[in-house]
Amino acid sequence: MSDKNNKVPFNEDNYTHNINRNNERKLDRRGFMKTLVGAAGVFAISSLPFGALAAKELSGLSDKKYQKHKITDVKSISIGDAVDFAFPGEHDSAILIRLSENKYVAYQNACTHLRCPVFWKKEEGEMICPCHHGKFDVKTGEPIAGPPRRPLPEIYVKVENGAVYAVGVKRYEA
Amino acid sequence: MKKRLYLELENCIGCRSCLAACTQCGGHEQRNRNYVYDVNPLVNRQTMPLMCLHCVNPACARSCPAQAIQIHETGAVLSALVEKCIGCQNCTIACPYGIPKFDTEQNLMYKCDLCIDRTKDGIPPMCASVCPSNTLQWLTDEEIEAKQKQFHLKNGKWVTSMPYLEGETNVRVNLPGILQGVTKLY
Repeated sequence: MSDKNNKVPFNEDNYTHNINRNNERKLDRRGFMKTLVGAAGVFAISSLPFGALAAKELSGLSDKKYQKHKITDVKSISIGDAVDFAFPGEHDSAILIRLSENKYVAYQNACTHLRCPVFWKKEEGEMICPCHHGKFDVKTGEPIAGPPRRPLPEIYVKVENGAVYAVGVKRYEA
Repeated sequence: MKKRLYLELENCIGCRSCLAACTQCGGHEQRNRNYVYDVNPLVNRQTMPLMCLHCVNPACARSCPAQAIQIHETGAVLSALVEKCIGCQNCTIACPYGIPKFDTEQNLMYKCDLCIDRTKDGIPPMCASVCPSNTLQWLTDEEIEAKQKQFHLKNGKWVTSMPYLEGETNVRVNLPGILQGVTKLY
């Protein structure tokens, strides 16, 4: 008799209760979850090239080629002296120490504790980091006192026709 | 030109063409979604078709906890969306006409969707297009009103008892019992 049966009890244009096809949301909950999973998949797949790059870098470290870099002339560094240089990049400060007539050692001199510059103390014959009194063995670069736990990265040097050249960095092995 | 399905029940001859047509309607997967009932079984031979009446405020869609039954903009109440239906069978219980059928194998409800692929473009649904006795007709509202004018009803109503059955429906039904000596012209 009355049209009480045709009263829609509440506004149905909403997210949780909707039976009108035209009110169907463009992004319902399931679509949202699919988007989420899809985006995660896209991110995962798009990170693969970087993983490949990293793997290539890591696997190629042992035979990594370095630009030969002239440090100093032999006649301008006397035995027991050190000279600062940068290798391989211009911000990787390094130190070259002439121990004897033909023995040169070179290290990247950022202390492995907190990267203070390590310097060469000629009188004590050892490399000292002034920040926390870390000491390094000058022959091997191994830490022998203080906070540092890892050796200084060694730089391979070569003497050619009166000049000292840096030719490579020894790979750090834990 | 909005047309609606119109059932003129007393024309039914029980040929089951509508059932056969329904199985062949697009997307119905060889299952019919309507019924032909005996009106008075074992008393007389009168039959009547019954398909979804596409309520304006459909109990099946109201009862669906997943909102799997949607109302199309044409007013047709669609079959359960496969990706939403959870197979709870609430709609089969809620429908006052017993229209929704349940597929236990797929765990899905399926019901008449007024052949929405056809009716959204103004083509009559399969059942109406094959009915040989004009029980199922595809008419505009004006044509339905013209049909109403053929009858002189004592209660002034188009159907015997109510303006509509359980609630307002998009499919219009002419209930038998209103023929009062009128010679029918189909």
